[in-house]
Amino acid sequence: MVQQHTQRLSAAFATCALAFLSSHASGADAPGEPAAPIWKLSGFGTLGAVYSSSRSADFTASVLRAHGAGHTRAWSPDVDSRLGAQLDLDLGAWSGVLQVVSEQRLDGSYTPQLEWANVKYQLTPDLAVRAGRIALPVFLGAESRKVGYTIPWVRTPVEVYGSLPISSSDGLDATWRWSTGPVLHATQVFAGRTNQDLHNGLRIKAEDIVGLSHSIERGAVSARLSAASGRLNTGIGKELFTILRNFGPAGDLLADRYEIRDKRVSMVSIGMSVDPGAWFVTAECGRTRTDSLLGGGTSMYAGAGLRRGALTPYAGYAQVRADVATHDAGLPLDGLPPPLAAAAGQINAGINGFLATIPVQSTWSAGLRWDAATNIALKLQLDRVRPRQGSRGTLINNQPGLRPDRAVHVGSVALDFVF
Amino acid sequence: MRAFFHSPRRLAAILALVLGAAAANASAELVVVVSSRSPVTAINADQVAAIFLGHASRFPDGAQAVAIDQQLGAPQRDGFYRTLTGKSPALLKAHWSKMVFTGRGQPPREANGDAGVRRLVAENPAMIGYIERDALDASVRAVLVLP
Repeated sequence: MVQQHTQRLSAAFATCALAFLSSHASGADAPGEPAAPIWKLSGFGTLGAVYSSSRSADFTASVLRAHGAGHTRAWSPDVDSRLGAQLDLDLGAWSGVLQVVSEQRLDGSYTPQLEWANVKYQLTPDLAVRAGRIALPVFLGAESRKVGYTIPWVRTPVEVYGSLPISSSDGLDATWRWSTGPVLHATQVFAGRTNQDLHNGLRIKAEDIVGLSHSIERGAVSARLSAASGRLNTGIGKELFTILRNFGPAGDLLADRYEIRDKRVSMVSIGMSVDPGAWFVTAECGRTRTDSLLGGGTSMYAGAGLRRGALTPYAGYAQVRADVATHDAGLPLDGLPPPLAAAAGQINAGINGFLATIPVQSTWSAGLRWDAATNIALKLQLDRVRPRQGSRGTLINNQPGLRPDRAVHVGSVALDFVF
Repeated sequence: MRAFFHSPRRLAAILALVLGAAAANASAELVVVVSSRSPVTAINADQVAAIFLGHASRFPDGAQAVAIDQQLGAPQRDGFYRTLTGKSPALLKAHWSKMVFTGRGQPPREANGDAGVRRLVAENPAMIGYIERDALDASVRAVLVLP
């Protein structure tokens, strides 16, 4: 009896203390009332190992990687492993976020990159504006693709997410939430620019980035429509184009077609997912255009899973096809003196080498997610990746021995965590 | 002893007690509450889910709504989300991880037990919480009963 009384007293005291701290520590519920700043540190990460059956190319999750599994080494930790840390500051109407992510880069290093860095002002409960860096809200979930814990599969489908020409924007964005009956809408518009270092001073710049993302939620159903465009500049293939422009009008024509100088890039997508809890289905299709060496394509995927306690078996299919020619006749060699013809031939091979990297590929996947704890998930996944039409697909570091249209089998194990 | 069991009223009382206790242990009925000072009198399950998942920040009448959660691992919390959204604690963690790491929002503030939620909600008409039906008192108003 006495013990029970003491417990109640301490519970009441704890409640009072909590209520006191809460009312003094956050201004979220009391607009206009000065509030003490709240700092919050959180993070996420993935420890992954990937095996690929092909020794003639590397399987990877993104084209912006130095190596992957297959050619460089049969088992690779570089495909999915990453670590992210985020600092949030909450001052009520004003808040800020800073997120850095360490994952393998094009230069092979794990140098942390600033993924998010912005200040948000909540104008009304429904309207927020941000200034700073955001990850682009394109496709169904490009901005959260690096947080493995939030997705059912080991990684977002490489056909759709593996080669986004731009993935972040430094600028402004506004999100407006509204509803029509039971349907909840969130409309986000953004404008900005980006200037990212790839490696060794090679940069990828995009200016005049503008876009729109519209999300809809109704119970278990969610959908998103997104569109973004920008003006792209990068020095990829610069040496090739410098030589090409010495070949007269024909050379200029080819250089103008493929050089990534002031090229309009665009991405549009529509996706939907139904998730009542016991099962889920998600599907998405999108289109990317760059009017350059980077090509353009239409991609789609569909995936589904069943949730049985802590286990989630799932399966999916993804594909990407090129909307542009992946081969170019190049400079006409007829009538050129032999030394020039040899040089032109090399240039043509160079152009086609780039065009072969425009992915045409399909992948069947099956896997199992085990939610070992409320912040840890272990996943096993098998993929049958098939580059098509002579393309190397989303593979990198392809060797002369890579057989076109031959399936590559990939096995992955990943441990995702959030804290 | 015979007389005890042969008394129909006593038997009924014992049965009611046993069944009542069993029902309370199996799944205590949850109610969604707002402050008794709040003008909100009713809200539907979809609207409550939207507020607690960070998709909406207003009551149906347009007033600002701030969700208050029970603590992680509390049976009220697990039951509330399972009934309302079909989401397990792991799925909710995934949902909020997506919100947090894209800068879209932070999960609701937590209060300690039914008494903690009730006290916090009673003091602030913007707040909305959930407690066991038995914990209801005059300081808060039940606006939705969850099965």
